[in-house]
Amino acid sequence: MVILTAISFWTTTAYGVKPIWTLDNYRTIFGSYVYIDTFLRTLRIAGITTVLTLLAAYPMAFALSRLAGSAKTIVLLFVFLPFWTSYVVRSFLWLPMLGRNGLVNFLLVKFGFVSRPVDWLIYNEGAVYVGLVYAYMLFMFLPIYQSLDQQDSKLQEAASDLGATPAQVFRRVIFPLSLPGVFSGCTMVFLFACGAFVTPQILGGASTMMAGNVIGSQFQISNNWGLGASLSVTLMVSVIGCFALSAWRLGLLQLFARDTR
Amino acid sequence: MTMRPVHIRWALAAYGVAFVCFLYVPMIVLCLLSFNDSPVVGFPIRTLTTAWYRQALADGVLMDALWNSAWLGIASSAIGTALALTAVLGLRRVPRLAAAALPFVVLPIVMPAIVTGVVMLIFFGFTGLRLGLFPTTLIVHVTWVLPFAYLSLYPRLVGLDRSIEEAAMDLGAMPLTVFRRVTFPLIRPAVIATALFAFTLSFDEFVRTFFVVGTQQTLPVHLWILVTEEVAPFLPAVGVIIMLLTLGTAALGFATSSINSRRIARFAMTREIAS
Repeated sequence: MVILTAISFWTTTAYGVKPIWTLDNYRTIFGSYVYIDTFLRTLRIAGITTVLTLLAAYPMAFALSRLAGSAKTIVLLFVFLPFWTSYVVRSFLWLPMLGRNGLVNFLLVKFGFVSRPVDWLIYNEGAVYVGLVYAYMLFMFLPIYQSLDQQDSKLQEAASDLGATPAQVFRRVIFPLSLPGVFSGCTMVFLFACGAFVTPQILGGASTMMAGNVIGSQFQISNNWGLGASLSVTLMVSVIGCFALSAWRLGLLQLFARDTR
Repeated sequence: MTMRPVHIRWALAAYGVAFVCFLYVPMIVLCLLSFNDSPVVGFPIRTLTTAWYRQALADGVLMDALWNSAWLGIASSAIGTALALTAVLGLRRVPRLAAAALPFVVLPIVMPAIVTGVVMLIFFGFTGLRLGLFPTTLIVHVTWVLPFAYLSLYPRLVGLDRSIEEAAMDLGAMPLTVFRRVTFPLIRPAVIATALFAFTLSFDEFVRTFFVVGTQQTLPVHLWILVTEEVAPFLPAVGVIIMLLTLGTAALGFATSSINSRRIARFAMTREIAS
């Protein structure tokens, strides 16, 4: 990591990285709209992904926490099973769904909504959202589910005994108590989405390059290690900063080791 | 809950079904396409064939990648679990030190995969190690599975009743004997589960590997090249094969702990923080 930070201040020449100290790499990043845009886009995509994942996961976690006995175990198993498969496989799963010959286009044509396959389903930001939400769903689902499932049902009963409507019980008791899970899930999804590489590369287009993809191409295509390193440092600092902030607010154990208790 | 209005329960149930569909339809589609007798990956489904599976299994590069991944998984799981066990044994009696170590354990997990890949690439560049499966990719995989193995072993060892080991020592057993005859048998299920979990982590790892593997290929790297460079018609079959392999190992690891909903949640969480 020290080497990475050092390299980010070095000069890239035609023969490789030379240890000549310079701020040029950072000047390139912060002086150019391309890179600032990439970082802003990364943050925006990660933020929207987090919100979408939260909206999708919360009702499911809530529904599941209301179940009991073997039904709960079975549904839980069904929810987890897809996430035990390989990450790369999970990312490219949406290719045959959204592509030109994909299921969605096939159904659209078959039922006469469009006359021929449409191209706007994939290689854009929308497809990246679908892929990221699909890939990171469990990170959001699990902490929320655990914070809902561990609640003492006596609290809810007490509230309704005191005359609260079901909606009030949810708003005033259940939801506030599930907030630690919500925060933990949001932090994880946001962090992972910030560093996303595979999904935007497969499902996104040129206009949806995220920080991870730009870094990757600096190292593997342009061979500009200095710029790549300084981009990595920028990404690393922002991600660790976000993480430290929420770890400080919630405690490291709350965020991370809730599973290990 | 009985007091909830019926229509909310129905809405939640309907949402649950939609949610599970969202998770499963893409996987089912992949399975269908893997049997589709068409040179183009996609719909419509024509006739069913197992040709793509035969083609995939006959592909030398794919098989090499499979073995590479298997060996790498076994090696990094063994080394990573052993190192984590040593660390936990050392730290379990000093909670303050363990608490101080936690941020450093968690750091590699939080670090974006791409950054770790880049850091390692640069690091190996400076040490002059040649990029390949062994040693560079192995080193990366060991450092990747180590924090997870630590987080998975630590609570089991801390939760261990100390008086059992003390009794053995009072009866005159040497520390090594205590470990071999008392401590290890007690934690063996946890160690096995951790090792299997570490294997699936290594077996699945892509982004970090991608940067340090050089010209060799692991299974995920091979899959990536298939997806991004040549959309081969047997791609879905490869995807299904990988899916089944990882599912199988995960299920094995899961089977070592008994079935109840809380355990599933805990297991899936440690498993999932990973990818």
